[in-house]
Amino acid sequence: MKHLRSFLAFCAVVALAACDPVHSDEVSALGGEADGVPRGPLHRPGQPCTVCHDGALGDPPGFTIAGTVYQRPSDTTGLVNVTVNMLDKAGSCFSTTTNAAGNFYVTSRQWTPTYPIVRTTAGGSGTCAPCAAGAGGRCVQMFSEIGWSGSCSSCHTQTSGPSSPGRVTLALDDGGTPP
Amino acid sequence: MKPGLPLLALVAAVTAGCSTPAADARVTESVPDRASFPDVAQALEHRCGMLDCHGTIYRNMRLYGNESLRLLPTDRPLSPPHPCTTSGEVDEDFNSVVGLEPELMSAVVADHGANPERLTFVRKPLGLESHKGGVVMQAGDDLDVCIRTWLGGQTQTAACQRVGPPTFPPPPSGQMPACQPGP
Repeated sequence: MKHLRSFLAFCAVVALAACDPVHSDEVSALGGEADGVPRGPLHRPGQPCTVCHDGALGDPPGFTIAGTVYQRPSDTTGLVNVTVNMLDKAGSCFSTTTNAAGNFYVTSRQWTPTYPIVRTTAGGSGTCAPCAAGAGGRCVQMFSEIGWSGSCSSCHTQTSGPSSPGRVTLALDDGGTPP
Repeated sequence: MKPGLPLLALVAAVTAGCSTPAADARVTESVPDRASFPDVAQALEHRCGMLDCHGTIYRNMRLYGNESLRLLPTDRPLSPPHPCTTSGEVDEDFNSVVGLEPELMSAVVADHGANPERLTFVRKPLGLESHKGGVVMQAGDDLDVCIRTWLGGQTQTAACQRVGPPTFPPPPSGQMPACQPGP
């Protein structure tokens, strides 16, 4: 009887956790998996990873930071083997590398930043130093800070606009350097 | 005593209690210095106005600026044609900040900036009140000095400018000019 009560309580918690309509809408808006790409490290490049990878009970593994890097905004595939370097407010630096889909992700076991993240670079040397002068097209640096969102794509949407600089890219389509 | 009298008094009291201010009533506000606000705006934008924080239309304290949310639909963060914060964006930021708690803001300004912790605008970044972005300002740091002196009418612009890069170094392509804070 005691076990049954515990089980029912557990089910109730899970059911309540699953009843967040805002979160459900966010997940639905992402659409289905791409044909031929199984769920895993290579799936859903360019999407806001932590919508699902939020560490909540029953969801896929939680990420503290995750995103996708492209060479240019119009590219349809991500950039492989690019180093992403992040320096947080406490002075902690973490570097990771994009995979075959251009995706990168950081778990809480690997690094949990103290927000804001004050410097982010893609490309570069695997340190959190600023991009060197003349490194345009190979290294790009964010001038703004990251406040709390671990999903790069929540701000870096597919197309640029008044509230987005567009995708994380090392270069612009015309060969210029992204902001 | 007539039996209807207490009832009449009760109705009168309820009616008086539900009265609203006259439609033409106005409150005179005192707002902090507008002239020095561009420096304050640039500091707020850099520390608070990121796209995932107050640089979004979903916040009551909505902050525009060149680093994040742009006012004109044709503008992009840190990109031409307006890579620098525009005067229109500074205007919007000013209205956003002074409109949060206008009566309290007036009181703080009237007191020459004394006890600014009366303002949610100050309590939240200090961590004195729950804040999604956590503690983003320490008492005595440049942002704190910037805000307190602005509220007190003697803005220390140097402190404001130290919060964020006063100028953006032009990228290797040289496309982006250096920005001076303000319009």
